[in-house]
Amino acid sequence: MRAPSPAVPGGARPGHPFARYAARRILTSLLLMVGVTFVTFALTNLVPGDPVAAALGQRAADDPATVARFTQEYGLDKPLPQQYVTYVGNLLHGDLGVSTTTHNSVTSDLREALPATIEIAFGAIVLSVIIGVTLGTIAAYRRGRTADHVLRLVSLAGLSVPTFWLALVAYYVLYFKMHLAPSSGRLSADFNAPPQVTGLYTVDSLLAGQLDTFLDAAWHLMLPVLVLTLYTVGLLTRFVRTAVLEVLDQDYVRAARAKGLPTRTIVTSYVLRGASIPVLTVVGLAFGSLLSGTVLVESVFSWPGIGSYAYQAASHLDLPGVMGVGLTIGLIYLLVNLAVDLLYGFLDPRVRLA
Amino acid sequence: MEFRFRKTRRAAVVAVLALPIVLAGCSSGKTDGGDGSKTLTIDKTFDLKTADPGRQYEPTGQLVGKALYQTLVTFNGTDVSKVVPGLATLDQSADAKTFTFTLTGSPKFSDGTALTADDVVFSLKRVIGMKGNPSFLLAGVTVTKKDDKTIVLTTDKPTPALPAILANPALGILNSKVVKAHGGTETAADGAEKYLNQHSAGSGPYVLDSLNLSSKVVLKANKNYTGDKPTYGRVVIQNVEGATQKINVQGGSADVALDLSGPQAKGLSSSVKVTSGPSANVIFLLLNQNKKISKITSNPDFVKAVKSAIDYDDLVTLAGAGTERAAGVIPSALLGALPQADALKSDPAAAKAALAKSGYDGESVTLNFPSDLTLNGLEFPTIAQRIQSQLKAVGIKVDLAPAAVATELDTYREGKEIMGLWYWGPDYPDPSDYLAFTPGDVVGLRAGWAKDADPAVSALVAKAAAGGSEEERQANFEELQKALNESGPFIPLVQPGNNIAAKSSVTNVGYNPVWTLDIATLGSK
Repeated sequence: MRAPSPAVPGGARPGHPFARYAARRILTSLLLMVGVTFVTFALTNLVPGDPVAAALGQRAADDPATVARFTQEYGLDKPLPQQYVTYVGNLLHGDLGVSTTTHNSVTSDLREALPATIEIAFGAIVLSVIIGVTLGTIAAYRRGRTADHVLRLVSLAGLSVPTFWLALVAYYVLYFKMHLAPSSGRLSADFNAPPQVTGLYTVDSLLAGQLDTFLDAAWHLMLPVLVLTLYTVGLLTRFVRTAVLEVLDQDYVRAARAKGLPTRTIVTSYVLRGASIPVLTVVGLAFGSLLSGTVLVESVFSWPGIGSYAYQAASHLDLPGVMGVGLTIGLIYLLVNLAVDLLYGFLDPRVRLA
Repeated sequence: MEFRFRKTRRAAVVAVLALPIVLAGCSSGKTDGGDGSKTLTIDKTFDLKTADPGRQYEPTGQLVGKALYQTLVTFNGTDVSKVVPGLATLDQSADAKTFTFTLTGSPKFSDGTALTADDVVFSLKRVIGMKGNPSFLLAGVTVTKKDDKTIVLTTDKPTPALPAILANPALGILNSKVVKAHGGTETAADGAEKYLNQHSAGSGPYVLDSLNLSSKVVLKANKNYTGDKPTYGRVVIQNVEGATQKINVQGGSADVALDLSGPQAKGLSSSVKVTSGPSANVIFLLLNQNKKISKITSNPDFVKAVKSAIDYDDLVTLAGAGTERAAGVIPSALLGALPQADALKSDPAAAKAALAKSGYDGESVTLNFPSDLTLNGLEFPTIAQRIQSQLKAVGIKVDLAPAAVATELDTYREGKEIMGLWYWGPDYPDPSDYLAFTPGDVVGLRAGWAKDADPAVSALVAKAAAGGSEEERQANFEELQKALNESGPFIPLVQPGNNIAAKSSVTNVGYNPVWTLDIATLGSK
């Protein structure tokens, strides 16, 4: 005789609570993605203005045969709902259409532009987290004292200085005046891009065994990363300070102090773990916004990333290009949010059981 | 902040010191001209769409095309008023309908094969058949091969502009065998663009080394080029914004900066030389003549009032270095340009008198313009605001209606703007291109100027379009422009300055309105 299996608490769903939580979040993300395709398509096509006029020259746009060739090639002669169905159908095969500006497939354009942005965004976020968490914690611990005031001022400055201006000044001072930084672009003029594998020049050059290219690429990352870091650090410091202050008032932190634990242990094991959820939210958002468009910084440093691509596509009414960027940014936000949500569940058991 | 800065600097210094140590035993990604020749770096704000000559029609494309491909005829240096032989000499019939080209010398493509009449016929027919951006250049042209050295182009209508058109890099001659092998056809089904974006197939001074449409074009000297060997063995053209270009050319990482605005071109260090001159772009104001669009702007006295109210010299000053007053719609570098003495005159008193005569009663008039358009570093909103204040001085109330260029183009092309601020750059440096500004023609219609609106002007159009000797054409187009200035709905304002900043070691820098810069003729000292 077999014993009846114990009832699952709270209902009938078996499985690890974290796995269930993750599955639910991933499903929601997929549904959101479908929504994003629709919204992007609708918004892109609602823009007043004729993509034909924007893509062809004045004279070419007056020639019916050229216009006919163009509209047919890009499927613009079909009704909108049909264009949408075709678009989503192609999308399922990983085809984002052909850019009317570059005449390349949008997928291949993005494969070049996105890694360029990832390279600077990733560098900036790592640096910002290290610096921001340190400064924010220090500020919280020294609340009301000089260090706190100074750090608050610094973070305010980082937040309120326009990145475009900061980028130009940094470039002028560090490149032109002090010769400490390289010129704009991803590589010096003497270098050709390493053979494309990941699209990240630092990684690709190492894969190709070209150390001089690697150093040149890393060297060129310095200024854009520095400028983006200054901005993000300002944001993070403020959030970390608030989050840490909140945790410092909690009973368990007081208890740990009363027990006589060393400050370092309290900070790393009690305070930062407790403050991690709100901080993670901000890091996620900041990373998303770094990835999805640092248009102005990219423009100053002649960085051919996704921000520059988005600007170019939008100004030429390159609908496939704009759609591609819109979807990519949507996807990035979804993925970052998903990652953040999953990390919540991992860090705080209360979340996955909710 | 101080702490971080020092840390970065230290890391940078360490990286540089470590470089030679690490390099030992590693392959290098560094390149040069191959034979140790010089590299030239050019900063340009890209509008590049392709390196396929038959599809490009943007300034960056023309710059690259000129270096990679040769054309049947061409221009000498910066002078676009006179067509000179290129790959071929030209014999033109008196009625400007038959053009016979004879290939001269023994030009070779970059793969070493000879350039023949077949290549010419294929290249030109391909441009016509592909229905791309530059196809209109050869509209109504029939291309035939007479023998191995002779090609004949015929047109239905007299086309005196054809020689000037054929100098356009978009009509560069391709290696037909190579292009056909990579999907090239003479129809819209042509598939050679991908190949031509990675390899060039021309006979020009350079070959394409690599191309990234958003960041960088690298050219290498063509070893089989039959003309003079270019000074720079490797050329890097990189996509850089104006403000950054200024820093780069002073800092030394760029040899040439092509997109400095008038104000940016001032105060550069002494190691940089700026070549300034009027561009071939003409910025103009249009006043709609269609009574359904506006009863005010279609009134001839109101048009006269606006023409006299504008302070042209003030606009020239506003636009900065190199800018010139546009005397007529045809820019100064072209055949048929109007002398400055015949330009419209500022006269506030006359403006007020004409305004009173027109019955204008202080109603506001809308001025449409592209808000995101910058031409030779000059922003359209700036000009629009200045015009608004100039017209206000004589009592005309102007409402500014800015819109993104991609949106505003529609309204402009449909002829719905009451007042519009736009520019025209030559499609080819021949006055015929400017017949667009006449009644019933492309730009004329955008100003609501119908075919039968001004018979006197139309008679002058017929005379100018017929062709004739250089002197006759000059006189005919001057007469036409005087009439346009007198009674037309367009007000030519300025030709904004074009500023090329180059290190003083780079010589022979000159602006050409078609391809901006002939890279192969640049020298070094």
